Amino acid sequence: MTGNQFVVSAFVVTWLSASLRLAGPVLLAALGETFAEQSGVLNVGIEGTILLGGLASFLASYYTGMIWVSLGVAVLAGVVANLFLAWMYITVRASQVVAGLVFNVLALGIASTVYRMALGNSAAPESIPMFQPLHIPFLSTVPGIGPVLFGQTILFYLTLVLALVSHFVLFRTNFGLALRASGENPAAADSAGISVPRMRYAGTLISGATAGMAGGYLVLAQVGLFRETIVSGQGFIALGIVIFGRWNPLKATVAAMVFGACDALQLSLQIFGTRVPPQLLLALPYIVTILAISGLFGGRAVQPAALMTPYIKD
Amino acid sequence: MAKLFERRLTPADSPLAILGRTTAAFLAAMVITAFLFRLYGASPLQTYYALFHEPFATLRGFGYTLLRASPLALIALGTIVSWRSGFAYLGFEGCFVIGASATAWVALLTASGAGIGPIPFFLFLPLAILIGFTAAGAWAGLVGLVRARFDGNEVLISLMSNYVAIFILQYLVSGPLRAPGSLPETRLLPRTTWLPFIIPGTRAHAGILIAIAAAGLVWMLLQTMPLGYELIVTGFNPMASRYAGINVGRRLVLAAFFAGGLGGLAGLVEVLGSQHRLMDGISGGMGFVGIIVALLARLNPLAVIPTAVLYGGMSVGADAMQRRVSIPSSITFILQSLAVLLVLAVDALRYYRINFSALRRRAPPAIVEQVPR
Repeated sequence: MTGNQFVVSAFVVTWLSASLRLAGPVLLAALGETFAEQSGVLNVGIEGTILLGGLASFLASYYTGMIWVSLGVAVLAGVVANLFLAWMYITVRASQVVAGLVFNVLALGIASTVYRMALGNSAAPESIPMFQPLHIPFLSTVPGIGPVLFGQTILFYLTLVLALVSHFVLFRTNFGLALRASGENPAAADSAGISVPRMRYAGTLISGATAGMAGGYLVLAQVGLFRETIVSGQGFIALGIVIFGRWNPLKATVAAMVFGACDALQLSLQIFGTRVPPQLLLALPYIVTILAISGLFGGRAVQPAALMTPYIKD
Repeated sequence: MAKLFERRLTPADSPLAILGRTTAAFLAAMVITAFLFRLYGASPLQTYYALFHEPFATLRGFGYTLLRASPLALIALGTIVSWRSGFAYLGFEGCFVIGASATAWVALLTASGAGIGPIPFFLFLPLAILIGFTAAGAWAGLVGLVRARFDGNEVLISLMSNYVAIFILQYLVSGPLRAPGSLPETRLLPRTTWLPFIIPGTRAHAGILIAIAAAGLVWMLLQTMPLGYELIVTGFNPMASRYAGINVGRRLVLAAFFAGGLGGLAGLVEVLGSQHRLMDGISGGMGFVGIIVALLARLNPLAVIPTAVLYGGMSVGADAMQRRVSIPSSITFILQSLAVLLVLAVDALRYYRINFSALRRRAPPAIVEQVPR
């Protein structure tokens, strides 16, 4: 292997490995959002939920030092926050975009206030316990794909398992059928004896749980600290991935990998020092998401028919 | 049996009822936030005094209030134009940044020795407004085009476009427009391009006049002009307006263009009135607070100015509060967003009336039917 080839293969390995790493949290959030949207709720509030989940896991990890407990706390925070959102969406029947958007501002206020309340104005603590990359014996030492596929944190594999589980639940169980019916034709679902509000509450709470967990994933496996800017639109990107993935968990997994690859390209190219302005590379994942959801490749025709429409039983 | 909440057949939508509900929701948000102040060990009264005294009861503070209110009002007006036309645009953070960048670029060109050279203010301002409005309008109009042509989801596309615009700004201030020095910012704009200060001894500038004029124009557009009527009809029922011969797609793009342009004017006002230079992070979430202002103003252009003054004042007071009672200014985000969420929640009450007689007497005894044996 010549020196040049070595550089290229090293580039590809770090790039792909970072792609999978960065795809994890957005995929997790997108999986839950798929449930919410299949039930007829566009939950824009996941951006703020991820932030709250991140804060909850950071504080839990800081005070207890137990990472799995911290992840659980993040999930719990997500569910509680989305109980409020579900009430706004389903019981109050407020506009889903408005309620979700304003909730994101509320979550930003809560997160930065609580963070300062808990830690004062002192500098952020040096480190919290974090999930470390697994090194699966033999597999992770396979040249090339080894470190890419088998050197991720356990949360990544958990997310992949959850993608399979989500697909099964949505398309192979009665619960999934009832959920999708509520998003496709709530009146028909209602006359078939399905409680549409209950299904939509379930969908919203599931999206809250995974968004909270995505926040925990960000903090406990990637960043290791809390800032108000750690989410920076990843919740919105998850919303884009749901559309790109056609409301299907397995396709969403592929979409998340594409997004991760764009995001990681920026990191890898910066290491190599290119002449491309860094901002163009930073904007790449957002531009790709915009193109993916622009409708150029088919759009609203395939979305759940009753998405964003509150259901009023006559 | 008399219930305390009786269902009404029509929602209570008189202006007084709306004002009453909005005020009640805002007060409720203040009560909830007061509990947060207690958690910090601060007296709620003192804290609210610190929050509201400086921006509304001192001349200097009120100048800052107007300074912060003008961009918020312009963004809120943009929100009204787009949302009432059925275009759920959320990209005002991006429009603000694009408008600010375009304005700063023109202003820098009028520096002595630069491309255009010095021109008098009365010529510069229309030029800057034209360019700032058009640039941001085109930015938003593109999203409108995607929606009209390909039926793309404008909610998400506009959210994403915010980030792209912010990266464009970062590129400009760290590359082509960067001033020598360590900070990513342009040099100070020539003094001839600054908006005039309108209240002596304060920083209040003519931006608020631009906002008031824009509010009047938006009101006229939506209330008195055929085009505005068509926009609103498009928003209510695109199908019906298509049958009525309205070119829905074209109206949508036009609404997006106007909305984005108003967002761009917000950036213009901020650059020419308060910052006097372009820098990274100039928007600071204003695009979203502006949307919140529009919501609290119930998408009514005339209610936008007072609401924007209230919210602008709160952001001024937040800094005072942090200084005086050392409560983090981020708590005002909670107050500001909670108020709107409660307004939305309270809207469910439109369909009820309170029956006070139910409070006064006990429920009458149930009538037992006499069944003959």
